[in-house]
Amino acid sequence: MSEMWINMGPQHPMTHGLWNLRVHVDGEMVLDVDPEMGYLHRGIEKISEDRHYNEVVTLMDRCCYVAGLAWEHLYILSAEQALGIRPPERAEWIRVMSEEFQRLGSHLMWYAAFVQDIGLMAPFLYGMRDRDLVLDLFQSYTGARMTYEYMRVGGVRNDLPNGFTDQSRKVCDWLIDRFEEYDRLCLASAIFHKRCDGLGKMSRADCVAYGVTGPMLRSAGSKRDLRKDRPYSAYDRVEFDVATADGADVTARYLVRMEEMRQSVRIIRQALDWLDKNPGPVMAARVPRWLGAPYAPIGNEGYLLKRNYPKGLGLSAIEEPHGEAQAYIVNDGGEHPYRVKFRSPVFANISAAKKYLVGYRIADIPPIMGSVDVCVGECDR
Amino acid sequence: MEAEFPALVSARLGDRVAAVEVFPGTLGRVRFRAEAALDVFRSMRDDFAFDHLSMVGGIDWVDHREVFYVLWSDARRAYVILSTDLPAENPHIESATPTWPGANWHERETWEMVDIHFDHHPDLRHLLMPDGYVFHPLLRSFKLHEPEELEVKTRNV
Repeated sequence: MSEMWINMGPQHPMTHGLWNLRVHVDGEMVLDVDPEMGYLHRGIEKISEDRHYNEVVTLMDRCCYVAGLAWEHLYILSAEQALGIRPPERAEWIRVMSEEFQRLGSHLMWYAAFVQDIGLMAPFLYGMRDRDLVLDLFQSYTGARMTYEYMRVGGVRNDLPNGFTDQSRKVCDWLIDRFEEYDRLCLASAIFHKRCDGLGKMSRADCVAYGVTGPMLRSAGSKRDLRKDRPYSAYDRVEFDVATADGADVTARYLVRMEEMRQSVRIIRQALDWLDKNPGPVMAARVPRWLGAPYAPIGNEGYLLKRNYPKGLGLSAIEEPHGEAQAYIVNDGGEHPYRVKFRSPVFANISAAKKYLVGYRIADIPPIMGSVDVCVGECDR
Repeated sequence: MEAEFPALVSARLGDRVAAVEVFPGTLGRVRFRAEAALDVFRSMRDDFAFDHLSMVGGIDWVDHREVFYVLWSDARRAYVILSTDLPAENPHIESATPTWPGANWHERETWEMVDIHFDHHPDLRHLLMPDGYVFHPLLRSFKLHEPEELEVKTRNV
């Protein structure tokens, strides 16, 4: 009698984006869920087939709007493999630093949104305030706070400005103290534990079977982190620990993300030290002019220059703030990629929603989905 | 282990696999026969410990379609790519969802975008596009810059 299907979304505080969670409930209990995606589908894979390789970078910022630089990094790694271009070492370190700052930015955004979901209002402002410092750094070297368009096939667009590393260290020092504050705000709160402990359980075996990755998988005891398991860019030259927890619940995911932010600061400090000591070019010397940055049409023929480049395939996988992201690029010798396929970690994490939502109560859905860290932009692409 | 992998795959799967191509950064790109898909999936999961399916994607080569799978093995700490060709007319292949439950949404997306049908998929319906959407946007015949006309049927909730 009290069984019914209800819609949580597409406009709902829980969703953090545009998607609809259809919930089958019996009174308070969740019997079944059916996520409906596609509200933010912009056809990025299709549009990419109509763009030059460097122009796709613009789309990557829109793909995940809280982790634009991580997605640029993902796409560029794959495009470089497909095109057979290698970036200079300094560009690789700048990319690593950018990705880690982006992880901080993304996790701080997650922290702000997540604690608000569970009813703690003050930490929201703390998280947003500190994320602004990271955005200020992005603004100082990419010129933008959200849509960076910074990375290029064969390197990055420009070198870091004077004084950037000192300013970054100040931000790191500030943030590392704030993390203690965040923990005191949350872990000391009875509300936090009542709303998070033991919810959204998903065992390690289930995570692997359903393709769930990132902090969700590591909160179930796995040490899987592509930065360690399959190092890309300069990650084989930095020291850090993989954050894990054993609870496999919402609290465990909180702990994993908090530890990841501390490890990010640790990686950033090593990258800044390296960048201070090793000036050099940030673009590869032998990049075809039509791929070069800043992009400009060449002569009258402009974009129609015939390519004389080998065909190739590219597969890149990075540990994006939400989990394992992949890009598969088919280069058939044309000026545009023939096919670009992205794997979004959020896409896979939401697809397993039945596993971690069924059996809990309606009021548990906001904290559980908050701990999944949904970014609909990259899920729908 | 990486160097032996192609030989191991050939020995285990015989003529179900056409070739194991070199793909930098992975153990290889296994080109298998579409009819033997289920055997290949199960063997990859049980014999070669590829327990995590990262993604499924389709490519429209106009005269034929390609479907590819990217797998990860925690034990081997490596990726492998499975790939097979399907005819352009009525392309269909056995679903990987019974083997890896995580393939569910990836196959739904591939079906609606590249029009590859997955046999025995538990729930093959639209995911990113609305119900009743008749186009397959990632086919080469679907041109950008051209208007489309369609009537969208919403689901009865």
